Amino acid sequence: MSATASVIDLSIWQLGLALVLVGAVVAVSVRQSLGLERDLVIGSVRTIVQLYVVGLVLAAVFAAARWYWVLLILATMTGVATQAAVSRLGKPLPGGNWIAGLALTASTAATLAYVIGVVVGVRPWYEPQYIIPIAGMILGNSMTSAALAGDRLQGDLRARADEVEARLALGFSGREAVQPMMRASLRAAMIPTVNGMMTVGLVQLPGMMTGQILAGSSPLVAVRYQMVVVFMLAAATGLGSWLFVRLASGRYLTAAHQLRRHLL
Amino acid sequence: MNDPIFHVDHLSLEYRRHRRQFAVSILKDVSFILERGGALTLVGPSGSGKSTLLRCLNRLVEPTLGTVWFEGRDIRSFDPRDLRRRVALVMQTPVLFEGTVGDNLRVRPADAPGDFSAARLEAALAEVGMEPDFLQRDSTTLSGGEKQRVTIARALLRDPQALLLDEPTSALDPPNALLVVETISRLRVARGLSIVAVTHQPELVRRLGGRLLYLVKGRVEAIESIDEPGAADTRLQAFLAGGSLPEGARRT
Repeated sequence: MSATASVIDLSIWQLGLALVLVGAVVAVSVRQSLGLERDLVIGSVRTIVQLYVVGLVLAAVFAAARWYWVLLILATMTGVATQAAVSRLGKPLPGGNWIAGLALTASTAATLAYVIGVVVGVRPWYEPQYIIPIAGMILGNSMTSAALAGDRLQGDLRARADEVEARLALGFSGREAVQPMMRASLRAAMIPTVNGMMTVGLVQLPGMMTGQILAGSSPLVAVRYQMVVVFMLAAATGLGSWLFVRLASGRYLTAAHQLRRHLL
Repeated sequence: MNDPIFHVDHLSLEYRRHRRQFAVSILKDVSFILERGGALTLVGPSGSGKSTLLRCLNRLVEPTLGTVWFEGRDIRSFDPRDLRRRVALVMQTPVLFEGTVGDNLRVRPADAPGDFSAARLEAALAEVGMEPDFLQRDSTTLSGGEKQRVTIARALLRDPQALLLDEPTSALDPPNALLVVETISRLRVARGLSIVAVTHQPELVRRLGGRLLYLVKGRVEAIESIDEPGAADTRLQAFLAGGSLPEGARRT
């Protein structure tokens, strides 16, 4: 992907000019006594520090272009995403970290391998410029959908425990008894993705496409990449939340087809 | 007593939510025997473990220690799904699924045995005192008492040997509760069902007869017969009102 137009580099001074925008919000906050000044300042500092650190790490990894550095970055990203996915659960699920980690790793690895290896055809596969941002998009979306799925599953099992028990008492297996709740939580997890597919480009230009256009790509190239991204995210979120819901619902059941009510 | 359908043998149950937490004790060394065709009513203050004990009998809940014998077999030697068809559960809040009453009576796993023909469904409805035209009714249009009787009919269609009742009348208004009480006591005689019930409804206790088991903080405080009319009645009333062990009840 060669940039056709030259990209305007941003100097420190230009960044400082951008900070004026935050200053404007701080002024509003003071005037309206919103009490958000502190958080806005902390947020701005964090934005600067976190992104600079990430930028430095990425620059180093890009320069080195070694497969093990890339894998380490991917593993770290997966770890953080896993933590975020289970932290949403109202009640901690024993083994939840392993389950979410497994679901996110498997769905991300499968989707990533297909997109990098087959669709885009990146050689070598660990070319950081492609694999890291693409993995980031996949993980970010799978993390959100797994969190939604897990939260909904736990909430539904708690609210509808009598219904599960009624089915068990009628001789259904544990799997059969929780099927309606699994289905509801998977649907809930997929709604943002499906909604996004319906309105993509109409409500908001997707971030990646915007970035690519800013970096000088032709909008037509950017659009094709965006399509790949949309299809890839549909696959990754669907696969990830399905795996997570399947494994997590198993944790709420025993081999003797019992609902472990005390976990709810 | 020489042909027990249930033999509950030193049952204890504790829950531990996390490895480091203290275990919460729900049932402590509970034992009793229920003869075939007999009735046993569990009474006790709320939180005493009655519903949990009931669910140990069809293995919806797994005790930490002890054994439940059903028909002379450790219930762990049954497929739990098969056990639950033989030992049916009627819950406090009737759970009906989407669809008609007929759909609800037919709800079953794909491989479940049994006759679910229209004639059989009508017969099951008749057993709980409902007309055949209820089969086409949407389940959401039923009254609480009708719903509860449909869940009883649904249980009967599996030809259970024992019926577990978890406060089957407490969510109902008095006239509906009475209808359910009548239905249950009639079925007990007609089908020779063995019944274990949790209830605060004195009328149901009286009509079921058999024995009373007083459960307090997960422990069996006493078991006594209520078949001699009037004998246990006043003591039961006092117990239900005050939650304390009735005087004269046999300590175990």
